[in-house]
Amino acid sequence: MELHIVGTNAITYPAMHVWDWRVASYLFLGGLSGGLMIMSAVNYIRPKNGQNADTLNAWKIPVLIPILLTIGLIFLNLDLERKLHAFWFYLTFKPVSPMSWGAWIVLIIYPLLIAYALAALPDNITRTIKYPTIRNWADALKPHLLKLAKVNIIAGVLLAIYTGILLSSLVARPLWNSPILPVLFLTSGMSTGAALMIILAKTKEMKLFFTKIDIWLIMAELLILVLMFYGHYVGDAVHQQAIAPFFSTSHEFFPYFLSIVVLGICLPLAVVLKFLEVTGEHTEELTTSSLLMMNFSALLVLVGGAVIRFALVYAGQLSGYSSYL
Amino acid sequence: MPRYVMVIDQSRCIGCMSCVVACKRENDVPPEQYRTRVVEMVRGEFPRLRTEMRSELCNHCDDPPCVHICPTGASHQEKDGTVQIDRRKCVGCKACITACPYDVRYINEEHGYADKCSFCQHRLKEGKEPACVATCVGRSRIFGDLDDPNSEVSQLLRENSWRVLKPEVGTKPHVYYINQFPRKS
Amino acid sequence: MAFSRRNFLKLAAMSAGSTLIADTPFLSTRARAEAEGGNVRYVATSCEMCFWKCGVIAKVQKNKKGEDVVVKLEGNPFHPQSNGKLCARGQAGIGQLYDEDRLKKPMIRTGERGDGQYKEVSWEEALDYTVEKLKAVVDKYGPHAVAMMSHGSPGDYFTNLLMAMGSGNIAFPSFAQCKGIRDVAWELTFGHKPGSSCERVDLKNSKVIVLFGTHLGENMHNSQNQEFAEAVGRGAKIICVDPRYSTAAAKASLWLPIKPGTDMALLLTWINLIISNGWYDKEYVEQYTVGFEELKEAVKGYTVEWCAKETELHEADIIEAAKDLGRYAPNVMIHPGRHVAWYGDDTQRSRAMAIINAILGSWGREGGIWLPPKGKLAGFNDGIPEYPIPDEDPIIKGNYPFAGGEGLTQVVRDVTITGKPYPIKAWFVCGTNLMKSLPAPELTRKAIDSLDFIVAVDLLPTDTVMMADVILPECTYLERHDGLFKIETRETGVAIRQPAIEPMGESKPAWWIGSELCKRMGHPEYAVKDSSMDDLQAWEKRMRRQAKAWGIDFDKLADEGYITIPDSEAPYITPENQPVFKTPSKKIELFSSELDEKHFDPIPKYEKVEPPPEGMYRLVYGRSPVHTFSRTINDQWLWELQKENQVWLNTKEAARLGLKDNQYVVLENQDKVVSNKVLVKVTERIRQDCVYMVHGFGQNSKRLTRAYNKGADDQQLITRYKVDPITGGTGMRVNFVTIKEA
Ligand SMILES: Nc1nc2c(c(=O)[nH]1)N[C@H]1C(S)=C(S)[C@@H](COP(=O)(O)OP(=O)(O)OC[C@H]3O[C@@H](n4cnc5c(=O)[nH]c(N)nc54)[C@H](O)[C@@H]3O)O[C@H]1N2
Ligand SMILES: Nc1nc2c(c(=O)[nH]1)N[C@H]1C(S)=C(S)[C@@H](COP(=O)(O)OP(=O)(O)OC[C@H]3O[C@@H](n4cnc5c(=O)[nH]c(N)nc54)[C@H](O)[C@@H]3O)O[C@H]1N2
Ligand code: SF4
Ligand code: SF4
Ligand code: SF4
Ligand code: SF4
Ligand code: SF4
Ligand SMILES: [Mo]
Repeated sequence: MELHIVGTNAITYPAMHVWDWRVASYLFLGGLSGGLMIMSAVNYIRPKNGQNADTLNAWKIPVLIPILLTIGLIFLNLDLERKLHAFWFYLTFKPVSPMSWGAWIVLIIYPLLIAYALAALPDNITRTIKYPTIRNWADALKPHLLKLAKVNIIAGVLLAIYTGILLSSLVARPLWNSPILPVLFLTSGMSTGAALMIILAKTKEMKLFFTKIDIWLIMAELLILVLMFYGHYVGDAVHQQAIAPFFSTSHEFFPYFLSIVVLGICLPLAVVLKFLEVTGEHTEELTTSSLLMMNFSALLVLVGGAVIRFALVYAGQLSGYSSYL
Repeated sequence: MPRYVMVIDQSRCIGCMSCVVACKRENDVPPEQYRTRVVEMVRGEFPRLRTEMRSELCNHCDDPPCVHICPTGASHQEKDGTVQIDRRKCVGCKACITACPYDVRYINEEHGYADKCSFCQHRLKEGKEPACVATCVGRSRIFGDLDDPNSEVSQLLRENSWRVLKPEVGTKPHVYYINQFPRKS
Repeated sequence: MAFSRRNFLKLAAMSAGSTLIADTPFLSTRARAEAEGGNVRYVATSCEMCFWKCGVIAKVQKNKKGEDVVVKLEGNPFHPQSNGKLCARGQAGIGQLYDEDRLKKPMIRTGERGDGQYKEVSWEEALDYTVEKLKAVVDKYGPHAVAMMSHGSPGDYFTNLLMAMGSGNIAFPSFAQCKGIRDVAWELTFGHKPGSSCERVDLKNSKVIVLFGTHLGENMHNSQNQEFAEAVGRGAKIICVDPRYSTAAAKASLWLPIKPGTDMALLLTWINLIISNGWYDKEYVEQYTVGFEELKEAVKGYTVEWCAKETELHEADIIEAAKDLGRYAPNVMIHPGRHVAWYGDDTQRSRAMAIINAILGSWGREGGIWLPPKGKLAGFNDGIPEYPIPDEDPIIKGNYPFAGGEGLTQVVRDVTITGKPYPIKAWFVCGTNLMKSLPAPELTRKAIDSLDFIVAVDLLPTDTVMMADVILPECTYLERHDGLFKIETRETGVAIRQPAIEPMGESKPAWWIGSELCKRMGHPEYAVKDSSMDDLQAWEKRMRRQAKAWGIDFDKLADEGYITIPDSEAPYITPENQPVFKTPSKKIELFSSELDEKHFDPIPKYEKVEPPPEGMYRLVYGRSPVHTFSRTINDQWLWELQKENQVWLNTKEAARLGLKDNQYVVLENQDKVVSNKVLVKVTERIRQDCVYMVHGFGQNSKRLTRAYNKGADDQQLITRYKVDPITGGTGMRVNFVTIKEA
């Protein structure tokens, strides 16, 4: 067919490129924050935690979460074409808009995260806070740490899953329009959260604990990824088309092909490394090589999580229902 | 309340692009951006060729994903069924652009808000047809009120078999296409 | 006026009828403005983005600085050329008005001719300098040494100037490069041209429409395309004869991809088929024509079998088309075409087209060619004296017995180069881009180089303008008065051009420039009455006098933009409305006595055109719906729709040459001229023996910031042309090219 169109908008045709690395980074950091909320809460809640030797270190994570989320939101804000109008997000609530949900979830999560961070602060740190109000708040919240952690799990799930729901609700983009996508984003968010826990953790016990969790999560993530592609593959032509860039060796789709290769290496390799770690014999103190391996495999997971977000954000915009066939 | 729709008689479109320019000037659309476009598809092999011509614009969907996704309510559906954008409320998040299956939205490069065909709402208020309809040299674009059984659009939809674009996405468009190809006589 | 549903319904109901929406209730410009609360102004005027002269309503608003700005253009529903609509170019008139590249001040050349160096000067200085230079030429060589070439409305005012000076050397590219040839052919046949303001083709009522070339949909003359779409919508049979699958072909029920240059074979074979099968209108032929027997005899030998070989069409298709013409005659037409300067045998081809229309009885019949409207308008020259008789006969007709009064541009050029029969040493160039519109541009350049003086009146710094010694900036059609225009469609009417806003920069209307030059050349009696250097109202006053002489209400005309002359419409033959044929025999001359007298074939004959040499393609060209030649390609709103042209090449040929769609190529013609680089469109939509491109691109003038160097110029490759011996038309489809990667 010879196709000639006059009057197309460069951003939407031939392939839409509306959302870029800023949105991808936000989705990654949003998912990571959600994952961390869940994982750090798990760390507090899990039995025998009371005397956990790593409590001293664990408080850094609740403090880190709002920072990560804020960076993510800065990326998101960078993407807004009319930043000065952003207050309109909060003058409406649109029940059917995942975007609106997202805005409100973030709004609700912030105080929660701050409360959580304050509650987690160890006394020696609290004492150094200059502002008495904050100090008082921290002291008052401290007894509620476990309750806050539980709420954080729910909020974390919401945050991580909503990033996926946002994309999956878009019928117009077949690659995103899959019910598995939110589950994928949730699992991936949790696995990156666990990975960051591993990197930040100081003790062998804690590292091994999250390594174990992460093995399950990555396996689940891999399975969901495969299922997602399979879902598209057995779907109609449009969905088959949607995943084509990932399996094309043509020059223009190289980045997508590469992303599959990277995922195909990163995640399984991470699983294998982690498996070796948890089944291996460990001395009281972790050896340097063990440490390196753990951190390296965690890093692989983080890279994988980012690759998933970037690849899906970009490839999703290539996919669509063409009426020019 | 009227229910505004457009009927596009593809056989009558002669690809003059007058609609495209009229729309741009009427609505002050920035350079290189468009609210409407004209598509020409030629199939076959010399000398047995067949052409489909059609103009495209916002479908003012009855079930508009662009409105559903909009976080601020900037994109909304009016009582007359048209889908409009309240520019004040638009944060430029572009969700509506990704949500629209018809790729008819864009960010206005001069002002940053999302924009698209408004069915020339301002002209309707003045009792005028949309600019693209008024100037359509082939009279391929026909505009009117679907709730009025005597309107030309109602008649055309009664008398012709029609289709909408991408019915599979379930948006219930209100731009209807008739006569995909010129009649052979 | 608030939106009222009833009102809107009325609109819709009216446009639902079978006619076009000419009868849509409409408000005059004043009433429109009042209805909208008086914050806007509407001005009814006439478009000049091409020569169809559609009626335009310009919407004018004040900007923040309090200046008047034209914000939107719309078609005038009263005007039959627009029927309330404008084409893309008409819609984009604002782009011409606000083009930053426009000529803003008069300029005098300071460098070498063609190197683009100018100084800006005052009008006084520019006019005085022009007069000094013109006088020098007149003194030395006589007034006939001053020639003018023009196209469009500015021409009138300088024709006046040249005639006043005593020169008749005035030529328009609209004759020899365009439709003059066809007009002559139809005058020889019917004693009338097939149209003036528009072709008198009853498309909307026709049952069978045959288009030879005539690429409606790309050739975007407004009302004609409205009717074409109407015909397509009604299911009329469209037969499109074109080596290229044009937009019109896409709408056609039968596309005949004819071998270029063999149209005459098809036409003569059809005539033969129609006569030998008795498909013609016998009574009509009997009553209105002469020479039928000679015609019948002359076409006998043109068999379908032969035709199929010659034209490379299918026999069945050739017969089917002729049958359809016969079946639906007389409500059928062979469209006369407009640009017919193709192969140098163009008068005869146009004659053959006229002849088929005649034997099918379509002249004066519904769905055929309607009769010229009635409604004479009194002559009006505002009391200027008779023009002096030129001291030397004008050379504009060359040695072509049937060349028309519009003159042969290429002959003016030839005489300028040779100096024979007398020297031509000064050119006026008004509203024509000669470097682009005349074939063999290297000759145009040569002629310009041999001039003592050349002055250009234009809007834009085009290739030709940038060769002038003096550049006089005209204001656009949206800033000036012109006319009154007599508009002949189905009816006779009068239209007006009047300014929507004041001229920008120091640009001035052509009538003012012409008038000031008349005075300075010592012919004040030919200047516009009561005009002066700082007054732009004199022409409006003249228009009022003209309206009075014509018995027209000027204020109504100014308000509504167009006025109908009552009872002027009489399109079809009826017992009371009998056609008048202004031929020597007072009948339709199938056998042309005038051609016979001048020793040309009185009945067309087939002659082969030169085929492309092995490995080369014939270069053919045409229009883009969004551009008018070279005049619109710098217009922001059109430029962005089509920034450069493409060369169309058949898929098989592209494969053979190893070329891919949308890659840059260059063309080289038979005389080794190489084109600009141009994108190739690899397509099934064209025959294998020719390539096609849209005319008007490839501007060399750097001052056209958008258009400069975009696309390729067909004219550059048209180094040869074949002159039609009857009219002097320049056949331009006789050049051949090769293609290679850029
Ligand atoms: N948009 C737009 N419209 C215009 C103009 C414009 O500049 N822009 N210009 C106006 C003017 S002044 C004129 S004169 C007209 C010209 O427009 P037309 O009168 O329609 O011009 P043609 O040369 O008849 O048509 C060009 C077509 O002829 C085909 N052709 C080429 N060679 C042959 C051949 O040997 N035989 C046959 N049968 N067909 C052939 C080409 O493929 C092309 O499709 O357009 C007018 N309309
Ligand atoms: N190769 C080739 N040659 C052709 C043709 C072709 O198709 N191919 N077509 C032929 C035909 S059909 C024709 S009619 C001619 C057309 O030939 P031209 O009329 O010479 O073509 P344009 O490119 O329109 O040039 C118009 C000039 O007028 C200027 N102009 C525009 N509006 C105004 C105005 O209001 N006032 C003044 N003063 N100037 C103005 C423009 O800036 C431009 O310089 O070309 C013929 N030559
Ligand atoms: S066509 Fe697109 S922008 Fe228009 S209403 Fe439908 S989804 Fe929204
Ligand atoms: S870009 Fe504007 S209109 Fe579109 S979804 Fe965002 S806020 Fe709504
Ligand atoms: S209805 Fe108005 S806004 Fe929509 S495409 Fe037509 S002219 Fe443009
Ligand atoms: S104005 Fe009408 S005929 Fe012309 S391109 Fe647009 S829809 Fe087609
Ligand atoms: S046909 Fe188009 S460009 Fe020509 S006069 Fe009419 S509106 Fe203007
Ligand atoms: Mo022309």
